[in-house]
Amino acid sequence: MSLELKNLSILKQGSTIFDPVNLVIKPGEITTIMGPSGCGKSTLLSAVSGNLDKIFSLKGSIRLSGQDMADLPMEKRNIGILFQDDLLFPHMDIGSNLAFAIKEKTSRAQRKTIIDNALKTAGLKGFEKRDPSSLSGGQKARISLLRSLLAKPSALLLDEPFSKLDQTLKAKIRRFVFSQIKKMNIPALLVTHDPMDCPEGGMILNLNKEKG
Amino acid sequence: MSGQAKGRIFPVVVISFFCVTILAGLFGTLLPSLNYLPVIGYTRISLSAWFDFFSYPGIQASFLVTVFSGITASVGVVSLAFLFITFSYGTALWKFFEKILSPVLSIPHAAFAVGFGFLIAPSGWFIRMVSPALTGFTIPPDWIILNDPAGVSLTIALVIKEFPFLIMVTMGALGQLDIKKTLLVGRALGYSKEQIWLKILIPRLYPHLRLSIFAVIAYSLSVVDMAIILGPSSPSSLSVLILKWFNDPDVSFKLLAAAGSLFLFVIVLLSILCVYFMERAVGVFLRPWITNGNRRCFLSPLKPIIFFMGCGTLFFTAVSSVILVIWSLTWQWRFPDFLPTTWTLTFWAKGLMSSFDPVMTTLFTGVASAFIGLLLAIGCLEHEVAAGKTKTRNYTGYLHYFLYLPLLVPQITFMAGIQFFLVIMKLDGYWISLMVSHLLFVLPYMFIALSATYLAFYERVTDQAMLLKRSYIIVLFRVKLPMLIKPILFSFAIGFSVSVAQYIPTMLVGAGRFSTITTEVVSIASGSDRRAIAVYALIQQFLPMVMYAFAIILPKILYYNRKGMQV
Repeated sequence: MSLELKNLSILKQGSTIFDPVNLVIKPGEITTIMGPSGCGKSTLLSAVSGNLDKIFSLKGSIRLSGQDMADLPMEKRNIGILFQDDLLFPHMDIGSNLAFAIKEKTSRAQRKTIIDNALKTAGLKGFEKRDPSSLSGGQKARISLLRSLLAKPSALLLDEPFSKLDQTLKAKIRRFVFSQIKKMNIPALLVTHDPMDCPEGGMILNLNKEKG
Repeated sequence: MSGQAKGRIFPVVVISFFCVTILAGLFGTLLPSLNYLPVIGYTRISLSAWFDFFSYPGIQASFLVTVFSGITASVGVVSLAFLFITFSYGTALWKFFEKILSPVLSIPHAAFAVGFGFLIAPSGWFIRMVSPALTGFTIPPDWIILNDPAGVSLTIALVIKEFPFLIMVTMGALGQLDIKKTLLVGRALGYSKEQIWLKILIPRLYPHLRLSIFAVIAYSLSVVDMAIILGPSSPSSLSVLILKWFNDPDVSFKLLAAAGSLFLFVIVLLSILCVYFMERAVGVFLRPWITNGNRRCFLSPLKPIIFFMGCGTLFFTAVSSVILVIWSLTWQWRFPDFLPTTWTLTFWAKGLMSSFDPVMTTLFTGVASAFIGLLLAIGCLEHEVAAGKTKTRNYTGYLHYFLYLPLLVPQITFMAGIQFFLVIMKLDGYWISLMVSHLLFVLPYMFIALSATYLAFYERVTDQAMLLKRSYIIVLFRVKLPMLIKPILFSFAIGFSVSVAQYIPTMLVGAGRFSTITTEVVSIASGSDRRAIAVYALIQQFLPMVMYAFAIILPKILYYNRKGMQV
């Protein structure tokens, strides 16, 4: 169940936008990709998630648990994403937002327990009926992560997920996110420009392009 | 919230204008329906008109065909629009629709109905195409396709004509939803695009479309011009029957007409209420389905059908215009032939001569009402912008509801009532009354068309200009409006085309003194010479096209050397 990027490079009009990436992320590990804005961090993430813009083309391979992802559409890859915006559906309550992620073949009672437990782990017990817009930034961030994880992804991508939170909140949410990834035991790829975001002991990759 | 945003005169004027006319219209219909019409000597209040109405021969059939065609068309077009956007959003087809929409929308209902009739009639182009090769027909079959008693051809034509309208409104509303990100999140959770549309985006889109959907229902139930051309004739749909009563030489029929048109209003009202409650019921029933985690899309097999139908509406619209062109140039065209045998320009020469006066009336009325509509729309939007900047009290919220009012009440119901008061005030039959009655319908569409782009204007530009010039009026007319020239001209063209298409206001408020190209088209459409009808229908279709062309070309000429304005 590891995420492997082998000789992965992305081309725009025939030329690569960064040097080929070689990575193996084991379950429960978080690898961080750093680099200045415009270096192609987000493009790399969208390539892994399966949402690469048509102006780009892909070279190399992306494998998840040994399976090649290249030809799978985004929704079939079973890769979760966490964005900097919470992107909760504003017309649904918190419970429905979470239920939307749970896979089929779960009875109504089971779904309720799953949601209850998830909310409890986030310290948000009893939030099922709340309106997403009534939540604080930190609460939304936690719900957003829970939603991504309830879909039982085989890997998680984190696209600058902490950049919109204020300093005091950042550390707390970071710990929560990292602990959940450990608990789920899935590989995670984090993109950020803030060195503080990197988990302790995690691998860090600087995305750059050699001149020439 | 303290103080009031500036420019509030505009929304206040618009809201009062709409309220007064519609209340007057309804009241002016209510009185005659209660046997009170002093002009022709009825002053004793009674319910006799209502009894007469309900016991009128064939009224039941009229009622049934009205409800059948109106409801089927509304349900059909709304489902088609939702499914079409579900399957086509983001595809090349959707982008094509974005481009082609305005010219398609600009085609007046009557002109389209005439062309559509020429296609599907037993002697129409479609049967000619396959005859005698496939059918063996050498004379037109005696099928009742056109004016069929169940109103099927009318229903189909309504769906074709209203589909682009709903798509246009949808395109406007999409800007307010975060489509791209929602699709991204949904797909990351394992849902396909179609499922995300059905489960998340359409439920969010619906509130934005609610009033337009109500307008579609009201229109489908009370349409007159298309129903005269394509609808059943005996018994005809209610709206056509009512108009016939209004114009009956026996003036006492006006009482019957008033009762009938109020009844039509009640049907529309009940249908809208019905949909409103259905919304809630559907919401309750579908909520478990939305969050049940099911990621299979049971509608996928429908995809080709929906694409086919969506493109079909464009195809029919286009071919309807083509057949009009062919007929307008025809001298001789025997039945199973695919094309005319001899061609002529005679009917164009005749038609252009005889239509000169109606065309002039159409032009003046259209330009005047679109111009006033533009002033009011910009005024209201400036008020909205000012309110947004200063967070002051404003009328924007009310305005959005009131703007739709004229589109939710059957035209025939309140136009007749307005005529009642105009006659009392001796204002009927004046051009100005006619123009103002058009404005009632022109303004809502112009506002809808303009508001999204207008409100998205980058206000920092005006702020910067204000610092330099310090005069609001100068900044508005020298900076903001010129920068918005494209959407403004487009909205003008839309207003103009709405005015061109008006039939009922011209018939009722014009008091027979004014004929526009539209009233001419409808009145000759039941006549026999297809060649003359085709010329008139094409002239009607041509007028809005000219205005659209103008709206596209003028900015290019004015700003040919300004690259930033060519977007």
